Amino acid sequence: MKASGKHKVSALRIGTIWLILAALLVVLSLVAINVGSAGYSVSEIVHALFSPEKSTVKVVVMNLRLPRLILALLIGASLSSAGAILQSVMRNPLADPGTIGVSAGAGTAATTILLLFPHMTNAVPLFAFAGAALACFLIYTMAWKNGVDPTRIILSGVAINSVLGAYNALLQMLHSDSLEGVLAFMNGSLSGRSWSHVRVLVIYASLGLLLSFFCIKSANTLQLGEEMAKSLGVKVSLTRVLLSAVSAFLAAATVSVAGMIGFVGLVVPHIARILVGSDYKQMLPTSMLLGAVVLLAADTVGRTIVPGMEIPVGIVMSVTGGPFFLYLLRNGGKMRGNQR
Amino acid sequence: MEIRGSQLEIGYGDHTVIHDMDVTVQPGKITSIIGPNGSGKSTVLKALTRLLAYKGGVVTMDGRDLKSFSSKELARSVGVLPQIHSAPPDFQVKELVGYGRMPYQKWYERNNAEDERIIDWAMRATGVWELREKPIHACSGGESQRVWIATVLTQQPEILFLDEPTTYLDIAHQIEMMQLIRRLNRENGIGVVMVLHDLSQALEVSDWIVVIKDGKKYDEGSPEEVITPRMMREVYDVDCSIIRVPGREKPLIAYHEI
Repeated sequence: MKASGKHKVSALRIGTIWLILAALLVVLSLVAINVGSAGYSVSEIVHALFSPEKSTVKVVVMNLRLPRLILALLIGASLSSAGAILQSVMRNPLADPGTIGVSAGAGTAATTILLLFPHMTNAVPLFAFAGAALACFLIYTMAWKNGVDPTRIILSGVAINSVLGAYNALLQMLHSDSLEGVLAFMNGSLSGRSWSHVRVLVIYASLGLLLSFFCIKSANTLQLGEEMAKSLGVKVSLTRVLLSAVSAFLAAATVSVAGMIGFVGLVVPHIARILVGSDYKQMLPTSMLLGAVVLLAADTVGRTIVPGMEIPVGIVMSVTGGPFFLYLLRNGGKMRGNQR
Repeated sequence: MEIRGSQLEIGYGDHTVIHDMDVTVQPGKITSIIGPNGSGKSTVLKALTRLLAYKGGVVTMDGRDLKSFSSKELARSVGVLPQIHSAPPDFQVKELVGYGRMPYQKWYERNNAEDERIIDWAMRATGVWELREKPIHACSGGESQRVWIATVLTQQPEILFLDEPTTYLDIAHQIEMMQLIRRLNRENGIGVVMVLHDLSQALEVSDWIVVIKDGKKYDEGSPEEVITPRMMREVYDVDCSIIRVPGREKPLIAYHEI
């Protein structure tokens, strides 16, 4: 009886955490709709939204703040899910979508277009997605040798990331006078995103997030170690590739819409693990929720903290999230880190 | 179910560890693979269970090439506990043991009543029933080793392969592990193949012993036939006597004084 009581407490704990995160999400969404450089009061907004005629307030809220809110939620959930899945593939707490070349590939494609073919700027999302996919494919091809193992993926990732990084740096040096677009892309920003972006991302992110739920069992099994997973009848290399593909797809979709947003994919899964444990049945949904909360909070802070100026969401997150993560790491108990 | 490896050549990269080895695992028996460090014991175990691809030769299970089995099909006949295994420390014992049912499930299926029954049976058979609600990190070394055995048992294998199941355990837990292995063999008819370092234990619990030296089979046979002062000298370069003690069924290895 005592033992089953214990089990219930942990289910209760997870339920409570999910409830708190959901509540935070709602509150933050309301805040994000309400605050902004144009200072409308709550009653003005409510009134405008429910009145039939077109007003500036309605346009600002519906066409600027709402799409941006939805994007932040989708991107936060997607990046966190991508990171969580990848960490099970690598069995390494330092894995994030950057490890498998998503960021470098997208960055290379975007930089090339923005600096060399500026007339094609509209096609940046498409090229960024393709670049991310290509870099990821290249890394896995290079790492393949009778299957893929995490060490080889990470090492071939380091090599290819460094080549692409060098190319990007060179290109930026040669075009140091027109870097604005590149910098915005590199630091990830939701500024000026509209419904057209939402329409694209909703499709990709929903598909990717749905696919990540199918990864739960495999991700859990990979945590038992390669040989154990194999002896349980899991096709380890195939599973690693499939899970990586889901992760890369999610990350690439967000990069193509919002540029490179670091930190979420790396740290949110860790915080989720500290909160609810390593079982992906709980850890993955927690990561998604938490990722959405964190990204929305960071973006809202970024666009309101300095009046008249936007601080890219990526920068806000790294600056505030880093110290918070360090705090958790020192106080988080036994659940942290990888399991070796 | 009989597993037979013929003319096996096994290695890592260009380096061949095992040369031209014939080895047969009898159903329902306890077989121990012994030999000095680096002789290739674990390598043989991995090749017989397809954890490691072999370069030459063939492994068959009841006459059928091991390569023709699907991953899950193999996992339903053969359970392997590798030397290196780990679980996230917060995984619950019962949950971990449940992973042994994976070979019987499609990727979307959850445990049904039959699965639960087998999980319960495996936990009782290995004496970890009382620990079922605990997280792994709260189990001692001996306990967690039994939890892992329960996980593999849940696969309902006909043969259990264990790679050094007693390494890192203290003597009490080593003996407990050997008792558990013998009980599983005698009471449930599960065949066991294990890599062992402790020759006294191998001598005591095995029905059959395979001795490996420098990647080749040195000898095989019943424990009394195989473990002799001559073998100890030639394989391990150690001097000993094999002595009989009244009241003990099996002889003892008395190493010469240091």
